[in-house]
Amino acid sequence: MLQDHCSADVQVRPDGYATIVLRGRLDAESTPACWSKLEKELRSARVSAGQVDAAGIDFCDGSGIALLRYLSLGGMTQGAIVTIHGLKPEFQRLFEGFTADDYKTFRPKPLPRPRLPEEVGCAANSVLRDLREQVGFLGSVTAGMAGTIWNRKRMRWPEVKRVFELAGANALPIISLISLLVGLIIAFESAQPLAQFGAQIYIANMIGLLMVRELGPLMTAIMLAGRSGSAFAAEIGTMKVNEELNALQTMGLDPVRFLVIQRIMAGVLLAPLLTVYSMCLGVLGGVLVMLSLGFPIKLIYNQLISSLDVSDILLGISKGLVFGIIVAFVGCLRGLQTRKGPSAVGESTTRAVVSSILLIIIADAVFSVIIYVLER
Amino acid sequence: MNSDGDIAISVKNLKLGYDDLVLLQNINFDVRRAEVFIILGGSGSGKSTLLKHMIGLYQPIEGEVWIAGRNLVTAEGDERLAILRNFGVMYQSGALFGSLTVLENVQLPLEEFTELPQPARELIALSKLKLVGLAEAAEKMPADLSGGMQKRAAIARAMALDPGILFMDEPSAGLDPITSAELDALIKNLSRTFGITFVIVTHELASIFAIADRVIMLDARAKTIIAEGKPADLRDHAPDEWVRRFFNREPEPAGAHGS
Repeated sequence: MLQDHCSADVQVRPDGYATIVLRGRLDAESTPACWSKLEKELRSARVSAGQVDAAGIDFCDGSGIALLRYLSLGGMTQGAIVTIHGLKPEFQRLFEGFTADDYKTFRPKPLPRPRLPEEVGCAANSVLRDLREQVGFLGSVTAGMAGTIWNRKRMRWPEVKRVFELAGANALPIISLISLLVGLIIAFESAQPLAQFGAQIYIANMIGLLMVRELGPLMTAIMLAGRSGSAFAAEIGTMKVNEELNALQTMGLDPVRFLVIQRIMAGVLLAPLLTVYSMCLGVLGGVLVMLSLGFPIKLIYNQLISSLDVSDILLGISKGLVFGIIVAFVGCLRGLQTRKGPSAVGESTTRAVVSSILLIIIADAVFSVIIYVLER
Repeated sequence: MNSDGDIAISVKNLKLGYDDLVLLQNINFDVRRAEVFIILGGSGSGKSTLLKHMIGLYQPIEGEVWIAGRNLVTAEGDERLAILRNFGVMYQSGALFGSLTVLENVQLPLEEFTELPQPARELIALSKLKLVGLAEAAEKMPADLSGGMQKRAAIARAMALDPGILFMDEPSAGLDPITSAELDALIKNLSRTFGITFVIVTHELASIFAIADRVIMLDARAKTIIAEGKPADLRDHAPDEWVRRFFNREPEPAGAHGS
């Protein structure tokens, strides 16, 4: 009668010779229990050699063959060789289909442990290579821009308009919400400490300067990086994976001129506009808080005007412009750097956002130093 | 006449489509054990859609798909999982997981569905890879394999749990004739040696004549099976002229359709 499970009996002679008798069904369901039982009994005994009596095995699939092969390799007997006897011919063919030599040849070899100097060298090399690619890409974009900007057909203005709409007009709701809330939050947070000095009126000065000089451009740029820079990288990266970039090249079209210039142009036009919009909404948030605190609108207006200069607004817009170029430039570069494989587009998108934000913060710090020197 | 014990899959009165659109109806056929069964038809005839209904990815409008004595259409929960474990599927693209090595891809079903320890999983996965001639590529990533190698790795993964049935969607598509012939030989060998039942969707006439035991032919206009039998019989003696033209690779006369 056929058994629906496997039984395993182990006998070890005093001289260390083990006899293992297997009976029943060895499949993916029954093998795990049999495996643990054998492993427990054989590991606790000092086995020098052994044999498996497999005549009682009624059914054996890949799992059973794996158990027999592991036993024959000495996997449970500290390397002591175990021979298999009595296996039915149909199972014997399966057993011989994957030999001990096959296992030794094909099993994965442990990877060499990385060494610190090697790792540091690789990382430094990767940073330098990336820097070189960025400089090269900057040159290609500049040359492409010079050859395209005055040529209406080559510029492909409908594409610029499409990107402008996707990255700009469609971003207005999220930029409105975040800018307004940040303005509200800063005004609320500062109202209490300033009240202790009777200086709540200066909330207007603070909100004006903060939103126009710093937070408006910075928040807009970070939102652009997360929303549009990542989209540029994903779009171009997918085109690269689908070999659309190769198709462009074989048609004699430069991908930089065909895809990148339009996105950078859209970024250049878009970022200052979104920055001004974000500044206005942020200031509006602060004004709403001041109105709720009982300050008349005329007083708030006068305070804002007295604290802000045209140069502050120009500084904010300039920052927006530079940040916009950075976001579009990095998004397109990371898209073009996309490698092979299903996770490549995701990696490019992540790299686009991280690199954009890093470069935006560095550019902001450079702006601060320059302004400090100029205004001293 | 075959007894029920010889039947691996039984499709009964299947009607399938999307929303109000009926793609196929009155689909009835049995697939015998260890048979290489081909689903054939022109472009857009619903071959892949029928396959996806047979493996439970889509729900039919009506009808039944019996596998291992259970109806997949109505099965839920553990019963459905039990049916799914009876078959493996090889998708047209291979559908290997790109973040795992080839060996890890093959080991994945064993990790998820069995209690086997790691050495057993590794041994089984390596033996399946050897069977499809890919043991040397065990540590490679799927992106580093050619199209044919990816398909063979997908077969190894589909066979990891030793299923009795393998479904394949366009296994030869995009392969060169030599690789395609190697894949055909592998399918034939697996069917003869291990008694695996194959249900294959394909267009490749050379493959069909090399491996098929039986063929059904679907037609988009008739929305049903228009021919069933051995490929050579259909080529020479099919009552439907369009079926004969299909097997003989003859173009359709302008403005005519044989079915």
